[in-house]
Amino acid sequence: MSKDRASTSAKLSRRGLLVGAAASPLAAIALPAAAETRPSEPVDHVNLNMEVPFYGSGGQAGVETPPQRYIHFMTFDLTTVNPRDLQVLLARWSAAIAQMAKGETIGQVEPAREHGIGFDTGEALDLGPASLTVTVGLGPEVFSERLGLAAMKPQFLRELEHLPSDAFLPQFTGGDLSLQACADDPQVAYHAIRDLARIAKDTGAASTRWTVMGFGRASAGRNQATPRNLLGYKDGTRNIAEPEDFDRFVWTRDDPVWGGMGSYQVARKIKMHIENWDVDRVSDQNNVFGRFKVSGAPLTGTDEFDTPDFGKTDAEGNHVIPRTSHISLAAHENNDGIKILRRSYNYTEGINEVGLLSAGLLFISYQNDPAHFERLQQRLGAADRLNEYISHIGSAIFFVPPAPEEGHYIGQQMFG
Amino acid sequence: MTRTLTSKMPLPLAVALAGFLGAGAALAEEAPVENGASQVAITLTGDDGGSCVLDYDSAKAGPVTFSVTNETATALTEVELLNENRILGEKENLAPGLPTVSFTVTLGGGDYQVYCPGAGTEQVAFAVTGAPAPKPTGGVTAILAEGTEGYGNYVDGMVDAMVTAVDRLKADIDAGDLDKAKEDYAAARPFYERIESDVEGFIMPGFDVTSNEGNLDYLIDMRESNLDPAVGWHGFHAIERDLFGKGEITDETKDMAAELQTNVTHLAEVAKGLDFMPEDLANGAASLLEEVQSGKISGEEEAFSHYDLVDFAGNVEGAEQAFAFLQPGMEEIDPELTKQVNDQFAKVKVLLEDYRDPNAPGGYVIYTAELRASDAAKLSRAIQSLQEPLSTIAEKVATAQ
Repeated sequence: MSKDRASTSAKLSRRGLLVGAAASPLAAIALPAAAETRPSEPVDHVNLNMEVPFYGSGGQAGVETPPQRYIHFMTFDLTTVNPRDLQVLLARWSAAIAQMAKGETIGQVEPAREHGIGFDTGEALDLGPASLTVTVGLGPEVFSERLGLAAMKPQFLRELEHLPSDAFLPQFTGGDLSLQACADDPQVAYHAIRDLARIAKDTGAASTRWTVMGFGRASAGRNQATPRNLLGYKDGTRNIAEPEDFDRFVWTRDDPVWGGMGSYQVARKIKMHIENWDVDRVSDQNNVFGRFKVSGAPLTGTDEFDTPDFGKTDAEGNHVIPRTSHISLAAHENNDGIKILRRSYNYTEGINEVGLLSAGLLFISYQNDPAHFERLQQRLGAADRLNEYISHIGSAIFFVPPAPEEGHYIGQQMFG
Repeated sequence: MTRTLTSKMPLPLAVALAGFLGAGAALAEEAPVENGASQVAITLTGDDGGSCVLDYDSAKAGPVTFSVTNETATALTEVELLNENRILGEKENLAPGLPTVSFTVTLGGGDYQVYCPGAGTEQVAFAVTGAPAPKPTGGVTAILAEGTEGYGNYVDGMVDAMVTAVDRLKADIDAGDLDKAKEDYAAARPFYERIESDVEGFIMPGFDVTSNEGNLDYLIDMRESNLDPAVGWHGFHAIERDLFGKGEITDETKDMAAELQTNVTHLAEVAKGLDFMPEDLANGAASLLEEVQSGKISGEEEAFSHYDLVDFAGNVEGAEQAFAFLQPGMEEIDPELTKQVNDQFAKVKVLLEDYRDPNAPGGYVIYTAELRASDAAKLSRAIQSLQEPLSTIAEKVATAQ
């Protein structure tokens, strides 16, 4: 844009509007390189026979595990004030998850008794384990006085503070328990949630609250190529991958008192204004993210993994990566070094009530202090150019306890 | 007597006679030239549900000054001079009792229309005799450049009108007149909506670009769904909440109205005289349609007053104006696309007609939950069909030789 005559004379700056023209020639240069695959870039193979063990001595599976292709995420409300009911639920969930992760059923599918009702619903038979993980989270209300578990509360577990641009719909918000089922086959993930929800009903401890089915993992794990969100951009390039960063940013150490190697899970349902995005010019799209669309390279580079140069300015003194672009606001360099693990998925659920595609991102992050998420979203919610095309419509927070050893169950230490 | 006489009279004489009789009817006589410009008076009255009357319906090519007086028309608040859908000049915020206002435009020979939205007869033909306006020379880029200049004038007119409308809203609020404030809120909204894509994004001196504290768009037009708790709620929609949600004017409302007046005045200062490139017009039109999709059709924009259709029409008008000023150039570049976009604009406008209500604040029916449930998908689809072809224009005009 070149319409800043008046703004210059009035000593006003315009948010990022001036960068489009400067970025276009760069795009032309960067595009040819984009088509080439880097020799070191990992190639993803899906093996539906892979198993991810549920039991262990570290963090729960489904956090550090490289993201599978599909997710079914569901939250639950507690329907009991008796801690014993919750204990039974967590124990039965744990045993069931361990079996399903091995590709086994959790009970009879077709009972021999004429009037018998199948315990396992059966739709995952013959599909293999497909790297299924189910990660269990505990919401703030689990540790309220009414269940007598207040003393067991993880140090930082609380509702998230109100953040800029939060526009929640109550039906996509909150929950006392969460289940994050991920697998390389969508039906395997669906089956896991469906059968675990049956167990919740059976114990009388919890009922379903809100859910999202997702596809096309939208963030990369170790040795995975960076995937794309529904806006067509690689948005997980600088995700946490190294074990040192997991120790530093993801896993809790002495929190809660009953066991470290937990993590705080933040889940946000983010609606995307798909139709508007699709008719936005590519130079603007690139400026919104701060990256080139095809290559994923930062606007100051040519390769996806080039380190963004947030200080670089063009001839007119404008930042080449706009300061209100998504990557600039989210970058650890600009946030006192803070990093969070992102483990997000794309979702779609048809057409909404006003005739627009209903789709977006199920954003899930893990961090050892929810304030780290708040710190980043504070800035993103206030100034991110992407906010024109997205709305945060759902939100919930959970504590993910460590994985249980075999013969034990998730959260067992809480019950004394 | 009159009937017999006029039937035998040559037509020009009959019309001239009618003029002498003081009937105020239009004359087939050219407007007199004074101070180097043809002088045309436009009078708005409440007759026939609102009418707009010209004292002369033609002028010589060259500068023409239109002086607009609203005598008794409470429902008519604006007058526009149109040529092929472009607004060449206009006056808004007209009301009985206000002083006469005028605008001057230089016109080439051809057919024009004086448009008075809401009048019994909305369009009055106006002819200019003499040489047509010279076509710009130097090819498409020159034609486009002329369009951007015309569009710049349009934006200047809008920011002026916005300041006036906000002044009036503030006066209502200061006077504690809730009903009038609600009406004038509706009257003030469209100006911002028509040019939003040109005036959003200004940061006041001394503020960081990532902070909303100095972001004029935030301070003027932020909705509840995008609030920044650190900065709080300001501007039109915070006032809307008080007027329509709480149904009262408090000291805080008065403070917010004063702040809004300061901020729109500041915005008008910096927005005036912006230079536009052809692609700015195209991109601006596209982002106004994005605004329709993301805020109006969902009913999110006017969550308390439900005046969303007023804003909807404002966004569409702003987009249409931006396109209209590109159109002469676009005819050269891609006539087929031009026709396609025009057809889609026409469809959207026909659709909007169904929601017009001259007696409603802002001129459109209230966007109720029921109306949204029954009509939102239809409105959204019409906008989508316009968004797709319109989005391809920026590149065409930016790369035109």
